[in-house]
Amino acid sequence: MLEIRGVRVVYGRGAPPALDGVTLDVAAGECVALVGPSGSGKTSLLRSLNGTVPIAAGRIRVEGVDVAAVRGWDLRRLRTRLAFIAQQHDLVDRLTVAQNVMAGALGRWSTLHALRFLIVPAAAEFAEARAALESVGIAEKLRSRTSELSGGQQQRVAIARALVQHPAAILADEPIASLDPELGEQIVRLLCDLARERNIALLCSLHQTELARRHFDRVVELVGGRVR
Amino acid sequence: MIDAVGNVLRLIGSFFPPDLSPHYLSALLRPVAETIGMAAAGMLVAFALGVPLAVAIATRAPGRRLIVAVLSSLRAIPDLTLAILAVVVLGLGPAAGIAALAVFYTAMIGRVFGDLFIAADAAPLEALRATGASRIAIAAFGLIPLTAADLLTFGTYAFECAMRASIIVGAVGGGGIGTELVGALSTLDFHRTLTIVIVLVALVAGVDSFGVLARRAPRTVLLLLPVGLIALWLNRPQIFAFAHALHTFAGMFPPQLRAEQIASLPLLIAQTLAIALGGTLIGALLAFPVSLLAARRLAPFALVVAVRRVLDVARAIPELVFGLILVVSVGIGPLAGAIALGLHSAGVLGKLYAESFENVPVAPIASLAATGARPLPIVAFGFLPLALGPLVVHTLFRLEWNVRAATVVGLIGAGGVGQALFQAQQLFFYRQMFAYVLVTWALVALSDWLGERLRIRLGWHFVAAG
Repeated sequence: MLEIRGVRVVYGRGAPPALDGVTLDVAAGECVALVGPSGSGKTSLLRSLNGTVPIAAGRIRVEGVDVAAVRGWDLRRLRTRLAFIAQQHDLVDRLTVAQNVMAGALGRWSTLHALRFLIVPAAAEFAEARAALESVGIAEKLRSRTSELSGGQQQRVAIARALVQHPAAILADEPIASLDPELGEQIVRLLCDLARERNIALLCSLHQTELARRHFDRVVELVGGRVR
Repeated sequence: MIDAVGNVLRLIGSFFPPDLSPHYLSALLRPVAETIGMAAAGMLVAFALGVPLAVAIATRAPGRRLIVAVLSSLRAIPDLTLAILAVVVLGLGPAAGIAALAVFYTAMIGRVFGDLFIAADAAPLEALRATGASRIAIAAFGLIPLTAADLLTFGTYAFECAMRASIIVGAVGGGGIGTELVGALSTLDFHRTLTIVIVLVALVAGVDSFGVLARRAPRTVLLLLPVGLIALWLNRPQIFAFAHALHTFAGMFPPQLRAEQIASLPLLIAQTLAIALGGTLIGALLAFPVSLLAARRLAPFALVVAVRRVLDVARAIPELVFGLILVVSVGIGPLAGAIALGLHSAGVLGKLYAESFENVPVAPIASLAATGARPLPIVAFGFLPLALGPLVVHTLFRLEWNVRAATVVGLIGAGGVGQALFQAQQLFFYRQMFAYVLVTWALVALSDWLGERLRIRLGWHFVAAG
């Protein structure tokens, strides 16, 4: 599903590489944790997968498509296959929960469809948002303002948005860094269960190695931009 | 329809080419110098009076409540209305312009500097007070150095505003380039009109870059001191004129309207409000799509730069100048007034909207882009809801401002209270004129107050400079 071969990422001339010859595969339905200290290249690796960080050498394939080779329309289509979950603060707090969840569908919707949804959402779209929220356990929040949710609930909304995207892979960048340990473990378990159940490849960066070993199929440690 | 488009095109064509003959350009030097001189002299007086008043407010001097009340109510009289009063009292020419600007900006500097002083760090001031220092010492060693950066920022902003105001007070006989513009338009000399508009845009652009320079090298502001002093000296008050001025001013009392004029007041007020609302609506509708092209996070760099230049030009041309051109071309009436306000507002709002979009948090937008969403849906699901607060506040501020501006464009025949005021002045009915000044004052003060209340209620109570 995700094929990473000898990837090198350099920010600015003369700077030490953020990633240096990283090779890694993640299969469909497989849960892989990326651990390592801050600055070890976890975020760079996740962002190079969806083409937001350009790679200087090596190759990345997503479902067989070479990420570095696609631009514009094709890059956008590739991104619709990769759901991204950030640390926090990545929801639009003035929108309702349902609107934030359905933002996951923007990649497959036309512009007109997207605008129409904001003004007159269809019943089917509401049903889809509710189903996604049910699978993360907060269906009752469908019509709430996003700003009224707690940090853990917001991360559940971000996961629901990822599910609506029907992705081939979920890339999660320290999704529990701002949550307390117990809540964090719940979210990690939820992510892994959903990925296995729906045959989605999951690549998730974490700080807590112990937690990673308990829930993920594989734990990959990055140090100084290299796999250890 | 095709006819109308043809008419507009023919009309725009009639402004070309501008009269760029050396003879005319050199003839414009004097009015340009007058305009700059008026602004500098007006600001000089405003600082000389406003800063001590602000110190009095901040040091809790006796009578400070009265000072605040007087300054606040003076601020509610539009600068152009003050200019009409000044022209009546002091006669045609730059002296009237300087007086109007001095009064308006004394009120502005007094209030805003007063607020800035009050917001200054309290501890060093307490220490100064404990030494038994006088008010002047507290100002010199505490208030002014503590707030110097804000004072400079706001001072240069005020000067930029005064420069624009200096152009428009000319239109009612205050002298300078404004008077020149009215002259060119009233003789239907469109080529020279365009020349003057180009000069105006250059003048405002020059003041803007002076403002940028002044923020970087504050001492350049001192250059304005001799300019202001010279302008003040050239227009020094005449002793014999003073008695005449007092006499004219006394002739405005008591303000009075005839019964049928009182009956028509609601209609005039409704017209003024309609011009303000219509102008804001036109401005917002024009500004929104344009601002998307002027925001660096939404459009390619070259396009952003080009669109921003267009917005700069729209902002540089005061409402009154748009109005003067429209009145000659489209005809007289509230619609022309609303369009004039709308074109200028589009320039202001376009820039502010674009900046609001640029200030939206990065993470939610990045997440939307990561879903593979198209550009417009990213705007609708991300930029727009995230920037909604600032967008609404900027638009409300513009509406407040446009209530003032609507009374101003009334002068050139757009209707409403402003037109009634100007007609009374032209006919020397000074008691009626003063009554309309009071109506204008009440209207603007009320709209400012309502706007303030609304912003507090919405919880978006922050200062957004327009």
